[in-house]
Amino acid sequence: MKTVTIDPITRLEGHGKISIFLNNEGDVENAYLQIPELRGFERFAQGRRAEDMPQITSRICGVCPVAHHFAATKALDAAFSVEPPSAAKKLRELMYMGYFIYDHTLHFYYLGGPDFVVGPDAPPAKRNVIGVIEKAGVEIGKDVIKHRAYGQKITAILGGKATHPVCGLPGGVSKGLNKDEVKDIKTMVDSCINFAKFSLKLFDDIVLQNKDYVNLILSDPYQLETYNMGLVDKNNKVNFYDGKIRLTDQKGKEKVKFDVKDYHKHVAEHVEEWTYIKFPYLKSIGWKGFKDGKESGIYRVGPLGRLNVAEGMATPMADKEYKKMYETLGGKSVNSTLAFHWARLIELLYATERAKELINDPEITSQKIRNPVGEPGEGMGVTEAARGTLIHHYKLTKEGLIDKANLIVATTNNAGAINMSVRDAAKGVIKKGDVSNKTLNMVEMAFRAYDPCFACATHTLPGGMPLEVKIFNHNKKLYKTLRQNL
Amino acid sequence: MKTIILGVGNLILGDDGVGVHVVNEVKKRIKDPNITIDEAITGGMNLLDLILGYDKAIIIDAVKSETSEKGSVKRIPIGDFNTMHSCNPHDVSLIEAIKMAEKLGETKIPKDIVIIGIIVKEIPCEFGEKLSKDIAAAVPKAVEMTINEIKNLR
Repeated sequence: MKTVTIDPITRLEGHGKISIFLNNEGDVENAYLQIPELRGFERFAQGRRAEDMPQITSRICGVCPVAHHFAATKALDAAFSVEPPSAAKKLRELMYMGYFIYDHTLHFYYLGGPDFVVGPDAPPAKRNVIGVIEKAGVEIGKDVIKHRAYGQKITAILGGKATHPVCGLPGGVSKGLNKDEVKDIKTMVDSCINFAKFSLKLFDDIVLQNKDYVNLILSDPYQLETYNMGLVDKNNKVNFYDGKIRLTDQKGKEKVKFDVKDYHKHVAEHVEEWTYIKFPYLKSIGWKGFKDGKESGIYRVGPLGRLNVAEGMATPMADKEYKKMYETLGGKSVNSTLAFHWARLIELLYATERAKELINDPEITSQKIRNPVGEPGEGMGVTEAARGTLIHHYKLTKEGLIDKANLIVATTNNAGAINMSVRDAAKGVIKKGDVSNKTLNMVEMAFRAYDPCFACATHTLPGGMPLEVKIFNHNKKLYKTLRQNL
Repeated sequence: MKTIILGVGNLILGDDGVGVHVVNEVKKRIKDPNITIDEAITGGMNLLDLILGYDKAIIIDAVKSETSEKGSVKRIPIGDFNTMHSCNPHDVSLIEAIKMAEKLGETKIPKDIVIIGIIVKEIPCEFGEKLSKDIAAAVPKAVEMTINEIKNLR
């Protein structure tokens, strides 16, 4: 293969960019996805009060404020050597379920779902949530809006604010629940459980009953046999809020399981000259380039990663759906990128069932919600963001100010895998220089499945699901540019 | 006429936060029980939630444009924004959110939605709380335009 060097000036800022290089025959030789990475966090954080980090970091990303809020809060628990009271942990986890309910609903119906519900060949103008509503009906549209809003409301009741919570404190939370709030949440959660069940049925009707879709899910360009990473509880069941980090191999066998504080013992980062993103990989296996398989240390996180590392779901209905997925797609591990969508819906059901367990727990109205903190030191905190494992790491000064800060975000954990998925999808759809508009969508589907969180400004207009695909011929001359929403 | 003025932006991402800087100034100059003034760090569906129930919404935000000059301020009726997207792969655009709400029979969408856009060239990728020189210089003009927008209502 010819070596491709991309001028560092083309390093990306502000939006996603894919460069595809063709060989003499016009087939894909290689592809690169460049994702913007926010820089300067450590310098920005230095000298700030540690207890401000949950609020500040929840502003990093308009997508996962709750995940950052609690990764930061948990890192502070560790840094101040304090264990929150059991009721506080339950309140945090309940709020976290609200976040998963709205986030996963949004992704399935608004972002990932249109590819399936409306169809991967439909024109881009139809492949959106409006198209979903046209196909599925107005009543379903109303249900989607309602339950996404319920997830937000649950988060707001517990967090003080829906989008940028203010409740997490080292050693606990600032606010408990009263009886009226419990009643409201119970009603919403019951409705959410039915909605999650309905969503899985919709997926079954529209996707699984359609042979073409099942074949698409199982088709070569969308397979990636990497290691998987995710949090599990003591029974190795999926957990979003707490637990140990588990990695399993391509067959679902445990490779390693560790506490977040040992993350750097097991994971290293590889640097490429063409992007600011660092590519994490399993140290014990090593970096072998953008390859999958047992010999390559690249792993995946997110809904499919979490389900792959676990031995089931901790709630009954979700566990049944979990088993069905593995039976349908051929056992552990499921390595199909498009199965992320299915996994996401199973997690939606789990989030609703778990929320019900928590809201029915008598301890949820306890007012013992905070423990006094110890001396400031160093700490790491981990949560599962909707799109994968998220880690905050702080070192504090004696005065309780930030000395060092580092974040390892989900999309970084997935960076190597997303890059390969994009390359493989491009290889599958571009033959002999034939590049159609469908190409863009098939490539986009490969990375949309991961629900990547491009670290960009939350909303600057017009912005967009920012994607630019540049295709170069064998002389490295620009051959075609496909753009979307730029 | 019930009006909401929303400054949209992220205060820890430099120029992206300009909408919030503007709305903080506007807050000092307008005291009217019929006018709600707030900030938001969100787009799409969440932004729509915030403006439902008002007759008019004025959204102040950084707008990326290749053709306009950095630091210029534009009044953009939302209808002109047919490609507007929330810069966030995990949300829909405000336009999409509005279209969807209309389709679902939502009756509380403001009749008039106007964007006061401060033109930026690049979305900042570095943490910081300060505005760049050109964008800081645009704040007074954006404040005036917002206040004129209110005056026109009377």
